[in-house]
Amino acid sequence: MSDTPDGKIPRWRLDFPIRWDDDHYVTRRELAKFLTLGSALLVGATGAVAIWGRRARPGQYPRQRVAEAAAVPAGGTLLFRYPTEADPCILLRLSSGRLVAYSQVCTHLSCAVVHEPGSDELFCPCHHGAFDAVDGRPAAGPPTRRLPRIRLEEEGGDVYAVGVEV
Amino acid sequence: METRAQGLPLFTGICFLIGTLVVVQLWLLAAALEAARSEMPHVLVPATIASLALLLVNAGLLWYVVDFDRRLRRQGEGGDG
Repeated sequence: MSDTPDGKIPRWRLDFPIRWDDDHYVTRRELAKFLTLGSALLVGATGAVAIWGRRARPGQYPRQRVAEAAAVPAGGTLLFRYPTEADPCILLRLSSGRLVAYSQVCTHLSCAVVHEPGSDELFCPCHHGAFDAVDGRPAAGPPTRRLPRIRLEEEGGDVYAVGVEV
Repeated sequence: METRAQGLPLFTGICFLIGTLVVVQLWLLAAALEAARSEMPHVLVPATIASLALLLVNAGLLWYVVDFDRRLRRQGEGGDG
């Protein structure tokens, strides 16, 4: 460890006792310990997510007027945001005359779904996913989870969004 | 009797195995995050239990490696792992 001609160890060497050529050297035992420590941290993180996820109960959704019911003809759509301004949704009148609404965010990779004219399907143009507009279930393409459904109520000729079913 | 020749591949294999299990735990964490965001709380507890089980397996493997190393050193054969 003596780097000077007089045999004294320089002060910086005391602070950094690892030699340059040993710097990259990690034993398998150290690697196994490091990985096991990482494993413990991952358990802690997963547990924290579990506690956070179970505490974050679905809140009370606001009652929000969406549109006049007559403003959406059969096969027609209307875009709105619910429950917050960051949540785009689509209101659709099915060919059967029933009004339905879903989150517009595709459950595959979050592109915006659009109504497929002439059908009761919502289409995601990014990866050609499709959802059945009757119940929001995936009908084609990569999505595997249904679209969150917006609960609707009609009152006095107006349509109100009153909740979200995931 | 443990030998260094046994120890080297054993340590390498166990490191590889622990690393693989850590990757599975990362996947479990990602699944738990997605479940929490999608309001699917029934996924969260099983993901945590599975992750904990993998940690116990990892700890057991590490304990085995350390114990193997200790016995090897006690025999005076050396072995740095």
